[in-house]
Amino acid sequence: MPEYIVEENALKDFLQSISKGRVLLSPQGVGDKCQITETTPDKVTLNFTNTHISPKTLFFPQTEWLMSFQKDHSKPHPYVYQDLGDKAKSAVVFGIRPCDAKGLSVSNKVFQNDRFTDPYWKGKYESVIKVGLACKDPFPQCFCVAMGGSPYGATGLDVLAFPSEKGLGLKPITDEGAKLLAEANLKEADLSSELKSQEEAAIKAQGIPDDYSPIDHRGLLNLFQDPQWQSIAENCLNCGVCTFICPTCHCFDIQDEENSEGGVRMRNWDTCMSWLFTVHGTGHNPRPSKTERVRQRFMHKLKYIPMKQNGDRGCTGCGRCVVLCPVNIDIRSVALRMSTLNMQKQA
Amino acid sequence: MPSLEETTQKIRETAKKALADGKAEVVIGYKKGTYPLSTAPFFARTPEDCDQLIWSNFARINLANYLPGRPGKVAVVAKGCDARSIVGQVAENQFHKDNLYVIGVPCTGMVDNNLIAAKEQRPYRDYSETLDTITLKGADFSTEIKKEEVLRRNCRTCANRTPKTADELVGPEVPGAQADDFADLKELHSKSPEERMEYFKDLIKDCLRCYACRNACPLCYCPVCFVDETRPQWLGKSTDPMDTLTFHLLRGLHCAGRCTSCGACETACPVNIKVREFNRITEETVMDEWGYEAGLSWEQKPPLTVFQPDDEASFIK
Amino acid sequence: MSEFEPKIVAFFCNWCTYGAADLAGVSRLEYPPNFRVVRLPCTGRLNPKFILEAFKRGADGVWVSGCHPGDCHYIAGNYYARRKFIVMHYMLDSIGLEADRLRFSWISSAEATKFQHMATDVVEHVRACGPNLKFRKAPLILGMEEVA
Repeated sequence: MPEYIVEENALKDFLQSISKGRVLLSPQGVGDKCQITETTPDKVTLNFTNTHISPKTLFFPQTEWLMSFQKDHSKPHPYVYQDLGDKAKSAVVFGIRPCDAKGLSVSNKVFQNDRFTDPYWKGKYESVIKVGLACKDPFPQCFCVAMGGSPYGATGLDVLAFPSEKGLGLKPITDEGAKLLAEANLKEADLSSELKSQEEAAIKAQGIPDDYSPIDHRGLLNLFQDPQWQSIAENCLNCGVCTFICPTCHCFDIQDEENSEGGVRMRNWDTCMSWLFTVHGTGHNPRPSKTERVRQRFMHKLKYIPMKQNGDRGCTGCGRCVVLCPVNIDIRSVALRMSTLNMQKQA
Repeated sequence: MPSLEETTQKIRETAKKALADGKAEVVIGYKKGTYPLSTAPFFARTPEDCDQLIWSNFARINLANYLPGRPGKVAVVAKGCDARSIVGQVAENQFHKDNLYVIGVPCTGMVDNNLIAAKEQRPYRDYSETLDTITLKGADFSTEIKKEEVLRRNCRTCANRTPKTADELVGPEVPGAQADDFADLKELHSKSPEERMEYFKDLIKDCLRCYACRNACPLCYCPVCFVDETRPQWLGKSTDPMDTLTFHLLRGLHCAGRCTSCGACETACPVNIKVREFNRITEETVMDEWGYEAGLSWEQKPPLTVFQPDDEASFIK
Repeated sequence: MSEFEPKIVAFFCNWCTYGAADLAGVSRLEYPPNFRVVRLPCTGRLNPKFILEAFKRGADGVWVSGCHPGDCHYIAGNYYARRKFIVMHYMLDSIGLEADRLRFSWISSAEATKFQHMATDVVEHVRACGPNLKFRKAPLILGMEEVA
């Protein structure tokens, strides 16, 4: 597929064209207010670090009303269940970072696979065309390369945009992306060599990545029984910030809220850092202490998800949890310790 | 004032001595973080461990949080506010004073990373700090920021910077800052109820209900928090604004007469909500009504555990 | 449109105000029927979350009433309660709850007339505030209209 180029002054027209008949979503605001929101072409900027909280909110909002039910026998339909899932709107998101797109593709396999399909996720995920923005200058907290990604990675994207010498380069990834670009009436250009050299420079800018591959090679029980979890748990506050801001954390809690007429079934983000997450109706809790809960988070990200998703890790190196953890529990150090432990056990 | 390095040295010596003298089996302190402008809590159990302890302008988390329920003898590095929290925990029987050795660090305030982010948007991978300045080092720049300008707001109005209840001080006492005069709360009170409710609803609109403020708080040690109670369920789990407001109100009320303005809650908040605003209301109340400030001496009783027969409450008809 | 009738949740101490309400009834003193009473063993039992829960579920007003200071059945329960009320009162006032929506009072079991007057007064003040729209949870939208 050919690459395209959009000159800087034509960016607005391009965005106008791709958002025709669709909602345009793009990162807006700065710092802790930077979020992907509905916007107009003239407000789009390429000058943002990354969204403060991961863009999973687009497809998996913190609170989502799934359905309602009514229990009034005087009405003609005393037990009516009505689907209340967000009506999916056809949209294009411009400026999603490769780490987040990859993270969402991990969640996508959880919500849609050969065993289950979650209609609430599917509707929203599939009606949004994802135009990613490559990271020419990775940020200090970034470690996507170490996690097997790239600042120019295309996983989970329909189109990859990157800053080129002549303007904004666009590389279609999927058929849908190619169609979007073909309709936009753009100038074709061969940017493959520029793309390649940019990617190499950006990867280099992240420094020599840590090698986490030993985690993948067997050793599930070794990792599980590692005494390091206790020392990590000693620091951990179990606050759950890491799970709420993570692009791949997808656990939720189903709740019914009722009034005298009926009720609503909703799902809310949940966090494995909370003791309530696993407590049983009997009062028994299979993860009774911080140690088990901390272990669950890292094992899930770095071991269980790769085992289920052909080696794709549940961490994409966006660095949010590294920055926001109040007690500086750094997933990079944890992953490194998991790797070295595994090597020792095998040796 | 001793420099950060001198204080660090002193903390290490004191920690080693506390371990050697059997005053503690573990010293809870700070070590350098893995990310610029951060520290991590650190549990030193051997003299070698103690060499990792540091003092920094980023020692924001309140280490008293790790005390309740911890077995054995513990030494803990404490700022003025942390030492006050420890006094509160001892008063509430969460930790026995005999098992405690408080290494007090006279503190000149901790830095708010959000204020630094507002001053320097360019990415930096390295930094250095002295007692009064923070220097950020990027690819092609180096910015020096005065600590005074980026202090956390609770540190700016901290009148108790020296942990007077500590077992040992690692430096000379430092003068306190001008105490919080609650001027902004008084101004808020001159507004209409509608405006006030608008203000507080706006304050918490980004809340993720992650409860990091609760978990970072040294006072929040309940085995089951009211937000986690399910029989009955007091609080909905959704992002309903009223549920969120109820959480913040009740947290504020639970901390009444106990909060020491350590700012751990605001530091932990991932979306930078000024959660302490609720605590400040109760702080002002206990100050105005009973002239009480939490955790200043081992003898004082928390105001809600005692009463005077003639307590003034003219609003009760 | 009919006149707004406020819904008030009342928390009464078993040993005084609850008795006063009973005495007022036995004495055939008329008072408005707008409140639903929750009986407490002592006002010291009142947890702040009870008040917030009442408002959250849509109560237009809350009325807490117990024994006069010094008269507590458990000797000091209402003294402790009084300090809690002070903190609660300032907190809810500061965040912008109209002062008239939340009432605290001391009424002994002999004060049926005080109870009658207080009940009328509470209801009238809450009525003047109007329905509680801001300090309650948004009603659930069941979306049933489309189905029926």
